Amino acid sequence: MSNCGLGRNTRLVIVASLAAFLLCGSLWGQEASGEGSGIASPVSVDVFPAHVRLTSPRQQMQLVVTAATADDHRYDATHSATYVSSDPQVAVVENSTVLPRGDGKADITIQYGEHSKIISVEVTGQGEPAPVSFYHGALAALTKQGCNAGACHGSPSGKGGFRLSLRAFDPELDKLTLIREEFGRRTNPHQPEASLLLLKPLMKAPHGGGLQMTKRDPAYALLRDWIAEGCQLDPPSAPRCVRIEVYPPSGRVLKLSEATNIGREQQLCVLAHFDDGSVRDVTRLAVYSSSDEQVAEVSTTGLTKGQDRGEAAIMVRYMEFVESVYLTFVREAPGFAWSNPPANNYIDELVYGKLQQLKYLPSELCSDDEFLRRVYLDTIGVLPTLEETQTFLADAAPDKRSKVIDRLLERPEYARFWALKWGDLLRMTKKAVGESGVHKYHQWLLRSFAANEPYDQFAREVLTASGSTLANPAANFYRTTADVNDTVESVAQVFLGARLQCAKCHNHPFERWTQDNYYGMASFFHRVQRKTAGRPDESFIFTTRSGEVTQPRTGQTMKPWLPVAGEVDIAADADRRKAFADWLTQKENPYFAKIEANRIWAHLFGRGIVDPPDDFRDSNPPSNKALLEALAKDFAEYKFDRKHLIRTILNSRTYQASSRPNEFNKDDVRFFSHYQPRLLSAEQLLDAICHVTGVAEKFGALPADMKATQLPSPDMAENEFLKIFGQPERQTVCECERGDDSNLGQALQLFNGPVVHGKLRHEANRFRVLLNAGKPDEDIVRTLYLAAVCRQPSEGELKASLAHIASKPDNRVEALEDVCWAILNTNEFLFQH
Amino acid sequence: MRISRLVALACCSWLFGVSTQAQDAVSFRKDLAPILLSNCVACHGAKKAEGSYRVDSFARATQPGDTGAAPITAANAAESELLRRIISTDESERMPLEGDPLPEEQVALVRRWIEQGAVYDAENPQADLAVIMPPPVHPDPPEEYSQTLPVTALKFSTDGARLFVGGYHEVTVWSAADGQLAQRIKNVDQRTYGLDLSPDGTRLAVACGSPGQRGEVRVFRVESGELLNVLGTMPDAAFDVAYSPDGKRLAACAADGAVRVYDTESGKEELTITSHSDWVTAVTWNNDGSKLATASRDKTAKVFDAKTGELTITFSEHGQPVKGVAFHPNGTEMYSSAADGRVMRWKLEDGKKSADVVRFGGEAYKLESGEDMFFAVSADKTARQFQLADHKLVRDFRGHNEWILSSAYHGPTKRLATGSFDGEVRIWNVDDGKEVVQFRAAPGYVK
Repeated sequence: MSNCGLGRNTRLVIVASLAAFLLCGSLWGQEASGEGSGIASPVSVDVFPAHVRLTSPRQQMQLVVTAATADDHRYDATHSATYVSSDPQVAVVENSTVLPRGDGKADITIQYGEHSKIISVEVTGQGEPAPVSFYHGALAALTKQGCNAGACHGSPSGKGGFRLSLRAFDPELDKLTLIREEFGRRTNPHQPEASLLLLKPLMKAPHGGGLQMTKRDPAYALLRDWIAEGCQLDPPSAPRCVRIEVYPPSGRVLKLSEATNIGREQQLCVLAHFDDGSVRDVTRLAVYSSSDEQVAEVSTTGLTKGQDRGEAAIMVRYMEFVESVYLTFVREAPGFAWSNPPANNYIDELVYGKLQQLKYLPSELCSDDEFLRRVYLDTIGVLPTLEETQTFLADAAPDKRSKVIDRLLERPEYARFWALKWGDLLRMTKKAVGESGVHKYHQWLLRSFAANEPYDQFAREVLTASGSTLANPAANFYRTTADVNDTVESVAQVFLGARLQCAKCHNHPFERWTQDNYYGMASFFHRVQRKTAGRPDESFIFTTRSGEVTQPRTGQTMKPWLPVAGEVDIAADADRRKAFADWLTQKENPYFAKIEANRIWAHLFGRGIVDPPDDFRDSNPPSNKALLEALAKDFAEYKFDRKHLIRTILNSRTYQASSRPNEFNKDDVRFFSHYQPRLLSAEQLLDAICHVTGVAEKFGALPADMKATQLPSPDMAENEFLKIFGQPERQTVCECERGDDSNLGQALQLFNGPVVHGKLRHEANRFRVLLNAGKPDEDIVRTLYLAAVCRQPSEGELKASLAHIASKPDNRVEALEDVCWAILNTNEFLFQH
Repeated sequence: MRISRLVALACCSWLFGVSTQAQDAVSFRKDLAPILLSNCVACHGAKKAEGSYRVDSFARATQPGDTGAAPITAANAAESELLRRIISTDESERMPLEGDPLPEEQVALVRRWIEQGAVYDAENPQADLAVIMPPPVHPDPPEEYSQTLPVTALKFSTDGARLFVGGYHEVTVWSAADGQLAQRIKNVDQRTYGLDLSPDGTRLAVACGSPGQRGEVRVFRVESGELLNVLGTMPDAAFDVAYSPDGKRLAACAADGAVRVYDTESGKEELTITSHSDWVTAVTWNNDGSKLATASRDKTAKVFDAKTGELTITFSEHGQPVKGVAFHPNGTEMYSSAADGRVMRWKLEDGKKSADVVRFGGEAYKLESGEDMFFAVSADKTARQFQLADHKLVRDFRGHNEWILSSAYHGPTKRLATGSFDGEVRIWNVDDGKEVVQFRAAPGYVK
């Protein structure tokens, strides 16, 4: 029995949290020291920025010190280095931050170990007033402390009668609220420290939100001073922030060690660039979050600390600007030695590259029986027949795996099974498009997959479809997406991997998508019209030549807008959808090929390189960026040939890796060092039960030989078993609609549900037929194993089965029912592995 | 850090008049309550009770929290968990958590109070700290204002010669003829939101408070500026005060949603009306003193029987926070103003709107009424005068450069005073709408 089971994931979680817990203990208490870190002595140090210019008493500069070793490893030494100013009257360094003291020039000597570096500091404007900016100071401070977060005063109705705009996206509203509302109740310029705005988060006055600020926070001083200066607004000429820059940029690899903090930390420096050319350090005002707290934590001061090996995106936000820094954390694993597994293709090279870096050892190749079962289920959705299994296992040809992959891709079941997946994404249901509509739509999809229609043509066909939905079934896309909002959100999620819904009402709080973007994209689909036609289940889709989208907040008429490209001009009489499809299906489009390549990968591995596979965003980085890019490039260059991509993946050792983990990869769940077992999908499971028992399931009035994995839509033939195991209703385009959680209903179904029970008791089931044909017990047991898990039973399994049958000499058939039931309830059967 | 701590200490001593004479017996009401209230109640009170421990009354402060350790051990300071936690050197348990430690003087008071037997020197051990504390002596106002202050309360003297204006920790008194500063009435809380004169003109009632922290109704002798009484202490600012026509009663309303009626002779709270569910921002009497009307942030205006406190009628058609109310002389109708700038007329009988009076271009604030006129002011920088009988617009007053927040009317001299967000006060002749005088109600302020 293979080492896979329901308990694995749970155990993993416990182990991971235990590890995190134990690591914490050693994290904080230790003096920085390079000893025992596994990091070689530094050969040089470098300091960012090389030159510091401070033009007002409010400015400061976070320094980032980087040490380099002889083997070209770089690590952060910011909090271990010492800093000496040549003139403390001009500038000093506190907490690795340069603070101005008086006009003039000074040098800062940064010493780390035996190495030092000197940077120059120029300080001006110290005698001049430096009022706190309302937007870049006071509102940034409130944002930093989380006051205007969605769960607090940034919620649409505020909290406790105090309402701020979500992350300060509406400074005009905040101006009224902070300065004027209730007679200026919140700010007290006469006695700034007594302002309610400060007393509440300090918990000097009762505050439902609790302690949110201390007097040591930079936000406190900014707010206090802004109030003391009379709550001034920014003059129209005040410089505006245009972008932020984060140092270090993405890509740095940090080494974790049990013994020391050295190497695991990375101080970030965040610079805001203004439209007057000035640059200010906003490290203390930026807001930080980590995409994976198990891997890396980040403090409010931008100090990142690695917790476990892996990768994390550190999202940095300052006002409306968002940047993400990707950091990789590696750790010495005692006894780890790279096994140098051969690579079948570029996929293995890129996966192994990442594994080697993170010190994970890939699992061995899976066995032939495991491979056969796996590749059948992934490619055509069903288990191999006894003959297919026997032939494959007996085949001695070294390339037999490649051959079976090729054969499967040409099987008609390939198209039927992948049409099921796209039927989900296209929300193909009887309810939405009618019974004959579903048939036509499904047939169209089957033809597309059977002919291996290139993905770009497929997308174009869907997006630009017009006419009768019966004559041109692809036009049903505009029937299932009932209005322009639904259309733009569906297009974004299916083809751009972006969840755009938030941007409908306000700028996306965590991502780049703005409300303008949403309505700019919507203008491509605004002119699509839907009208009912003469025949039942028929709609007519066409576009008008006029009509523009109005942005509801600003009242502005939106020009068609595309990510990366920006606003575009389209001929007045052109179908704007064509322009969108042209842009979308370009080889260079940064989303198109990647999303589909990732979706195919996720289908084959049960987990996307970006996961969830339809949630691409800065704060959800790919677990292997190079791999995803290579797959997308291959896909695009191979004319968006899906079979090519699937074939390439199936032929990789990565796909063919065993699901049994080894000592050095057992805690990996995202870098594909071993195959992740997963429960069969609802449809696969039902088909598999039918296959093992030899009793087909009947789906309403659909053809008798139609399998669950080939159903045109769930509501064509309602099936309780499928629903319980997570078959989606196809109400949304979200991949998440297909449930993957286990529940009691499933356990009861497998234990003694009508499907399992009925088939075990069926008069013409597989073992009864064999029994009636006079087959000996052993043959029957062997057959059942071969059918269910594509292998012969082990000696122990066979012995136990035969002993059980022998124990019921009066009732062989009931004993065989027991054996078959037991097989159907093994993890090995229920899981793909 | 050191400086801010000193400032904090100084503030505390000003605000609460903490006794620092080492030899005196330490008083819970005078010495301990202010310390607990300003440092501990935020986390250990009714809103939040960290560690299941509360200190918002003496009785609660003696009950152990989750740790089970006795917080107050009479005559045995070494055993007191409360004292241990405020002097602990372990930052993870030193109170106030994540805040600056208490100043030594305050710690010494706590220690001595416990050593002296932890005596409770007020009547009801269950009473809130704010209620048992002696009224604070408020700090002096700034000698010279460095900033202006929004003018939130105005009142003419009985003879109309002077104008009372809410200041910062004071009520300033100005000549209505030439706008010269005449007097400064001190010992007032931070902000003043409502002013009224007793019918005999000798007493000035002040609704004041520190936002989010405390509210008070203070009564001063007009002549001398002497504090006569502190009628009530509330957990958040008091917004309005109004003497009954016979001067025997004083109504006050506050951010805690309550309307309180005091007997002016005894200072006793006769009636507490808690019908509103949010701030009550204005209160007014009808002509014979039998009814009280209120405006509230709960988006309603209400009328109560002034004897029993019983709710007579609720008007909820504004759908916005209501800011001001005025009785119609016909005895059957009301006017009210709201945050969306609308002024409505409605019937006492059924609480239904009978007329839309006006819609300002910004929030409307408290209504001010005289014998036959009423006035409304707004964030759209205008004040308007209406006839009480038919709400006919008589005229508007334009000239303020900022939101107008408050007004006062003096019938005999036909003067209207208006105060705006930028600290400016203007006095108008309501007969011709001309401005008589303007000044900034900020002593010593230089632009």
